[in-house]
Amino acid sequence: MRSLFYVGALVVSVAARAIGQQPDSVAKRDSTQKAQADSALRADSIFMERELGRIRNEPRRRDGIEQPAGATTASSTGQGPTNPTLLPNISGIGDLIFDLSPEGTTQEEGERFLVREVELGIQAAVDPYFRGDFFLGVHGDGIEIEEAYLSTLALPWQTQVRLGRFLLPFGKQNTTHRPELHTIEHSRPVQEFLGGEGAHGTGVWMSKIFAPFGFYQEFQGAVVDAFAVEDHAEGDLPGEPVVLVTDEPANRRLSGLGYSARLRNYWDLGEATNVELSGSVVTGKRAIEATCVSGGVVQCPADVTAVNARQSVAGVDLTYRWRPLQQGLYRSLIVQAEWMRQLNPQPGSGGFPRGVSVEVDGSRDSFDGAYVFARYQLTRRTYAAARFDWLEEPEQPGASLTAASAYFIFYPSEFSKMVAMYERVKPPFDKATNRVVFQTTFAVGPHRPHPF
Amino acid sequence: MKSIIAFAVALVALGAPPATAQKLKIVTSTTDLHSIAHAIGGKRISAIAISAGYQDPHHVEAKPSFVIKMRDADVFAFVGLDLEIGWAPLLIEGARNRRIAPGGTGHVDVSKTMPVLDVAQGAVDRSQGDVHPRGNPHYWLDPGNGRRIARLFTDKFSALDPAGAAEYEQNLKAFNARLDATVRELAPFLAQIKGKPVVAWHTSWRYFAEFTGMNLVGFMEPKPGVPPSPAHLAGLIQTMKRTGAKVIIMENFYNRKTADLVASKTGAKVLLLPPSVGGVKEIRDYVGLITYDVKKVAEAVQ
Repeated sequence: MRSLFYVGALVVSVAARAIGQQPDSVAKRDSTQKAQADSALRADSIFMERELGRIRNEPRRRDGIEQPAGATTASSTGQGPTNPTLLPNISGIGDLIFDLSPEGTTQEEGERFLVREVELGIQAAVDPYFRGDFFLGVHGDGIEIEEAYLSTLALPWQTQVRLGRFLLPFGKQNTTHRPELHTIEHSRPVQEFLGGEGAHGTGVWMSKIFAPFGFYQEFQGAVVDAFAVEDHAEGDLPGEPVVLVTDEPANRRLSGLGYSARLRNYWDLGEATNVELSGSVVTGKRAIEATCVSGGVVQCPADVTAVNARQSVAGVDLTYRWRPLQQGLYRSLIVQAEWMRQLNPQPGSGGFPRGVSVEVDGSRDSFDGAYVFARYQLTRRTYAAARFDWLEEPEQPGASLTAASAYFIFYPSEFSKMVAMYERVKPPFDKATNRVVFQTTFAVGPHRPHPF
Repeated sequence: MKSIIAFAVALVALGAPPATAQKLKIVTSTTDLHSIAHAIGGKRISAIAISAGYQDPHHVEAKPSFVIKMRDADVFAFVGLDLEIGWAPLLIEGARNRRIAPGGTGHVDVSKTMPVLDVAQGAVDRSQGDVHPRGNPHYWLDPGNGRRIARLFTDKFSALDPAGAAEYEQNLKAFNARLDATVRELAPFLAQIKGKPVVAWHTSWRYFAEFTGMNLVGFMEPKPGVPPSPAHLAGLIQTMKRTGAKVIIMENFYNRKTADLVASKTGAKVLLLPPSVGGVKEIRDYVGLITYDVKKVAEAVQ
């Protein structure tokens, strides 16, 4: 009995210590430090009052010093809040495009000069537990909710959860808003597999950081209502989008929701160089144009033109950065590569309406895409960059589209950017075309810095 | 026998100090804050700095490896006044550490206890350059403010680690005594500097000028953070000739070509002056920074 007691005491004791030693156990630390925290706040307050009183009586050493023009000399302590009315940070980014391609504009809108997008951001802490972020994309054809999510601020174990609409955690480019890309457009594999403005979804996003092997790792996962990429199928008239009707919504079953996951791995190679190698996957069911065949006769249920077929994309991305600390204002290099594979429904893989065999239009094969991008900083405000895109042609095995582009980028400041792009695109069965596009983006208001 | 061993182990386990009795983990945004934190905390803290002394603290990459350093920190002390606005919010949010998040016990905005220069007057917008609306953040270059930082750290560390309060207070006295002695030793050099006209690249030397009495007659940057234009340089050259400024002070992370050009037109010399601890190898701590910079300027204005 005594042994049991001692062992019990030992277990309780060791468990208590173990919990106390967990670096993540913020709650435990808070409970032991609450009194200290209150004391700290009081001490800060008293100290500040004392300092302010002393500083008010302190003479300034300004005798005989000529002040340069433009240098205001107001002195202050006890700085108040910058937003005493608790207004959120409101920002706007304008994205202007000038398409001077020799064979006519290459913009979807058919315009040579266009305001491609105005991105409005509204960001603020909601309360001590959450922050809210809204990003609205204003286009020529309306307003789109690009992102609108609530983020937790106080979850333990270095986790964070978002609820709402967000860019899916997939690859390096997809989580960057288009106006803030290094280039004017997403790479062609991203456009083809994830959409022209990246893949979004509405649902739940979570992330956890950890470092069990001594380097930074982050897992990001999301469950969203649907993983949907615009279908490129055309209706009877050229350019007319096809109306896809399925026999049931894709999200009727849990297996029809969209799921996305990404594992980031980051290493410092030195004080000036680092590398990130990450893997991502996204899967979901989406409507794919299909023909229902029964006994050799086309026989679709009423109005059904599509089936919910699983489509997945898997990818790997690698980013190498070099930026010497002392000359970091003037020199830097980024080399980035991403490979991704779209996994399409295979014959007999299931997921089709019961009792009907379906011939899915388009490819059922998996096909690949990749890009390599590099940007070198020439001066404090200028960069040269290049990108090579490669995308397999799904209809023709062995055939692929390639595009090579070069960029000259000028940053008048960190809030405005001017980009000149030349691109040569070689479709698989067509002659090469040349594109010349200029972009200007500018930001007003306090826009949060972008993730590394 | 087994019972005795089990009981002894249990007692040892129960009696051992909890994890919170370990060293305070301090992360600072700059090496200057790190140096002062180390002087105050001594062996009771472990401290690391995010930026290097030879790096522009405005432009630090928010690398994920910093997130790992900050996720377990008890204190994140930063200069404030928006100096780190381009990267610290990312690290704080990425670390997901409530202690160092805004409102947390370890979220220490050092600027809150500073007498701040250059607080913007009237309407402020970005046409004025990389302006800091709440004031110039380079306050650590005045030793008086170094003392304030030390006082703040003493109070903060004592609050979080009351058992070490006496030691922190003792370290504060030692730090202030060493700084006072250094300033006294620098008196002849300060006398050489006082009133001498100089030009600086950035507004970062305003507090240093307040301390030394050197006369800042102009800046290479027409507006904070904006590279100089030819028209601005032409005006600056005239100003330097008029005032007799013979020294251009600039941080060692800026490209000196433009400064060399102006120097060649005015007969001035370009002085690369590290603004932070570790800016050059010889500067190993905060007192060393003040000593090095004062002596270098005194030598240059001769």
